[in-house]
Amino acid sequence: MEKRESLWEKCLRKGISRRTFIKGCTGLCALMGVSVDRLAEVVEAAEAKPLPVVIWIHGHECTGCDESFIRSAAPLASDLVLSQIDLEYDHLLSAACGEPFEAHLKATMAANKGNYILAVEGATCTKDNGVYCMSGGHTFSSLLKEAAAGAMAVIAYGTCAAYGGIQAAKPNPTGSSGIGAFCGATPVVNVPGCPPIPEVMTGVVMHVALFGSLPPLDGEGRPKQFYGNRIHDTCYRRPFFDAAMFADSYDDAGAKAGWCLYKLGCRGPETYNSCGNIRWFEGLSYPIQSGAACIGCANANFWDDGVGSFSERLPKYGKLGNADKIGTAVGAAAVVGVAAHAAASVVQKGKREAIEAAESGKKESR
Amino acid sequence: MKEVKRKEFYVFSPFLRVFHWIMVVSIVVLFCTGVIIATPLQSVNLEPTYSVTYMDLVRDIHFVVAFIFAASFILRVYGFVINKGDRLFPHFWKGYFYRQTIEVALHYMFLKYEHSSFLRNPLARASYAMLYVLVAVEFITGFAMYFLANPDSIWGGISAWIIMVCGGEMMAHLIHHYVAWGIILFAIGHLYMVIRAEFMEGESEVSAMFSGYKFLIHNPKDATDSDLSGEKHLI
Repeated sequence: MEKRESLWEKCLRKGISRRTFIKGCTGLCALMGVSVDRLAEVVEAAEAKPLPVVIWIHGHECTGCDESFIRSAAPLASDLVLSQIDLEYDHLLSAACGEPFEAHLKATMAANKGNYILAVEGATCTKDNGVYCMSGGHTFSSLLKEAAAGAMAVIAYGTCAAYGGIQAAKPNPTGSSGIGAFCGATPVVNVPGCPPIPEVMTGVVMHVALFGSLPPLDGEGRPKQFYGNRIHDTCYRRPFFDAAMFADSYDDAGAKAGWCLYKLGCRGPETYNSCGNIRWFEGLSYPIQSGAACIGCANANFWDDGVGSFSERLPKYGKLGNADKIGTAVGAAAVVGVAAHAAASVVQKGKREAIEAAESGKKESR
Repeated sequence: MKEVKRKEFYVFSPFLRVFHWIMVVSIVVLFCTGVIIATPLQSVNLEPTYSVTYMDLVRDIHFVVAFIFAASFILRVYGFVINKGDRLFPHFWKGYFYRQTIEVALHYMFLKYEHSSFLRNPLARASYAMLYVLVAVEFITGFAMYFLANPDSIWGGISAWIIMVCGGEMMAHLIHHYVAWGIILFAIGHLYMVIRAEFMEGESEVSAMFSGYKFLIHNPKDATDSDLSGEKHLI
């Protein structure tokens, strides 16, 4: 097998100056969300490490994650795919197809065993041996198992791959689930979102590619540098929340003035993502900035959480109805019950004392 | 007026009593602020420049009081260690607990004129144990949501696990909200039962939480659960 180039070697071949290369590495630091203190490490890795082989497969999904990915601006998705990673196989972006393409996948997996990065979009189908999601004549779940076993790391792109997504929403006819259980001992990075932010997608794959290790992960296996904050805590409308200035409907003065969408069921307070700071499409906007409440698309089960109530939050949120109305009703019933019990207790006490008086009267008369 | 001889029983240590009243105030404040957080009142200000950050304030009050409430458990634990009367557990593992519970329940259902005398009757014991469970759920879900503002911290790591057990952060909010109502329901029942016991049955349920002493006519069945049995304090 031919020697694979590093990023620096590629720059040399293309006549790109050292200065531009270092600038590029500094840029990489920023987009991976690591401190510029680690620039030396990034440069070292970019000089020495051959471009990482990436295999990108798609399960049950809408390919919306790819739609997001190709809109990455820093780095440009085209730069990443063509010059910063060695993308050997991609269900969606590859021009090749058919048996030679599948054979190439096998060859790539065999040649780079233990060294390639597996990027997965979409959920796996588990029902009926996974026949509802086929790829190249095999079930997607078998492909996933095989590919994950030989991978250095697995990146689960999108809520579908991380948690099951829309396929796994009730009634989940195909038994879809997140890919975690199919990856064996290979470490998995969850990059949820429907879709994830483009720069988050490129940032995570670049981190794994350059450092050869996973970025620091939180409790749900998400990279902390991108999923470390609630959208609510980074939202530019937060001051309106703190000042209790809310939009009550999407067509009122508050909505027009850009006030907080909390009362419209915004899931910002429950959702961890970088929408508030990185934003979308070169920082152009994000849902809340565009005047729509967050639906928490990076949360597991967000479809089921949102059915019929994306615009509801507590106390109205939930299957039982308005929690405060239920609480008030039960509380009122309790107060009435208590009052009735008190009245009955007084009556009972009167009777008891009458009996006691009668008994003591009998004793005295004896 | 009929003369009644009463015996004095020392039950509650000062630590438990102070804890109890901190708990009362905390629950009222936490419930009120919690309802406001879930359903905020619209600010009267329409001009952002002059608005007050009252949601921020309400949240701060909620968090600070929650921390005070949690910290006050130090008093509860200390009282628990030093004073026997602070350890009035429901004796689930004893047969008599169920017999006595039925007896007390029959009285409350007006099927018996009175129940035996207790320092704390088994039904009350069980209900207070239940309250601690509710408070624990509030603490666990509440602090999990609070500490996840910084998932990087140690507490954040533990909290992430709690949120997963709850089934997502929205579910944690939901559980937190319903259990808060559960505590209010408990409070309604509790308030009634202690007032009833104090003023109808003469069982000094309310006054004991101020003085620490219960003045009872009969020798309570669970008298051995307190440090000083009443013999030497005849009044």
